[in-house]
Amino acid sequence: MNRKENFTAGFIRENPVFGLYLGLCSTLAITTTLNNAIGMGVAVILVLVMSNVIISCIRKITPSEIRIPVYIVIIATLVKIIQMLIKAYAPALDSALGVFIPLIVVNCIILGRAEAFASKNSIFDSALDGLGMGIGYTCSIIVMSIIRQVLATGILSFENPFNVEQVLFQVQIIPEDYIISMFSQPIGAFITFAMLAGILAACKNAKAAKAQAKEGN
Amino acid sequence: MKKVYHLTFFLALIAAIAGGALACANALTAPIVEANALAAEKENLKLLFPDAKDADFEEVSVKDAETIEKIFKVNNQGTVFKMKVSGYKEGTSFMVALDDEANIMDFVVISNGDTQGIGTKVTEESFANALKSKNSVEDTLDTISGATVSSRPIVDGIKEAGDYLLNQLK
Repeated sequence: MNRKENFTAGFIRENPVFGLYLGLCSTLAITTTLNNAIGMGVAVILVLVMSNVIISCIRKITPSEIRIPVYIVIIATLVKIIQMLIKAYAPALDSALGVFIPLIVVNCIILGRAEAFASKNSIFDSALDGLGMGIGYTCSIIVMSIIRQVLATGILSFENPFNVEQVLFQVQIIPEDYIISMFSQPIGAFITFAMLAGILAACKNAKAAKAQAKEGN
Repeated sequence: MKKVYHLTFFLALIAAIAGGALACANALTAPIVEANALAAEKENLKLLFPDAKDADFEEVSVKDAETIEKIFKVNNQGTVFKMKVSGYKEGTSFMVALDDEANIMDFVVISNGDTQGIGTKVTEESFANALKSKNSVEDTLDTISGATVSSRPIVDGIKEAGDYLLNQLK
C-alpha cells in the first residue's frame, strides 16, 4: 500500500465511524452541536497521531506479551494530558464534552490503529495513518453533528472554543416552527448514524459492483 | 524467570515515564484551572452583589460545618455562604448572602438535582422572595408545602449559615 492510499484510507474506504463502526459511543453522544464535534475531533486527532508515533517508536523493544497494557498506559497518559489542556484553555468545551474526553482512552479507533498499524509500521507511516484516520473520524462526526444540530435547533453555529462569548458564525437554516427536537436526543443520533452508514455502504457496494462488472467483461 | 523480570521492568518503566509526563502537564495546567474555577465562582457571587468588584470578595476558611462549602466576605456589605444540602435526589447547591445581623439579603440556587416540577420549586423566585429580609436565626423560615424534602434542607442550611456567622465569624 503506498503512502497516499494509506493516508486516505480513513476518509471513505476504511472510515472508522461509518465503515469500521469504531468509536461509536462518543460519536452518538457528543454529536449534538458542531462545536462539540470539532473539539472532540481535534482531541482525537492529537491523541491518535501521538499514540501512533510513540507506539511505532517503541515497537521493536515492546515485548509482545505485554503490548496491550503498554499501549493502554500510553494512550491513557496522552488522553489525560489533552484533558488537562482542554480544562485549562477551553473550559466551556470541557464542560460540554464532559466524561467523553476521558473516554477517548477506550475509543476503539485508537487502540485499534495502535494494534493493527502502528505496531508494525514505521514512525512516519504511523503518524500519517493516525492523521488520516483522525481526519476521517472528525469529518464523520462533523457531518453527523451538522445534520443533528440543524434538524434539532434550526440553527448552525460555531463559537470560539477558547472564548464562548465570541460566536464565529450563526445561521438560521430551518424556521423555528419546523425543527425536530428529537434529533438532539439519543434516538436522533441513532437515526442519523444509520442513514449515513447506509449511504456509505450503498456507495461502496455500487463501486464494488462496477469493479466486478468491469472484471467480468 | 528472567523473562518475568524483563516484562515487569519494561511495564514499570513505561508507567514511570507516563507518570512523569502527567506530573509535568499537571504542574503546567493546575494553576490555570484553579484560576478559571475562581473566576467562575466570582461570576456567581456577582449575582448576589452585582456592584461588587472581583477584589471585594475575600474567601474565609470554613471550620466544622456540614453543609457550608465556602464563605466569602464582601467588603463591609455582607457575607456569602456557598452551601450544598441534601434533597430528594442530588440535592441543591445554593448561595445565601447575610448581613452582619444574619438577616437574609439574597438567595440564589446554583444547581438543583431534584425531581423536575416538585423539587425544582426551590429555584423559583417566590421561594427566594419569601426568604429575603427575614432573619436567618430568629425568624421562622417557610418551607414549600408539597416540596418539603427539597426545601427543608435549604432552610436548615440557611439557619446553619446564620449560626455560623454569629458564633464563629464574630
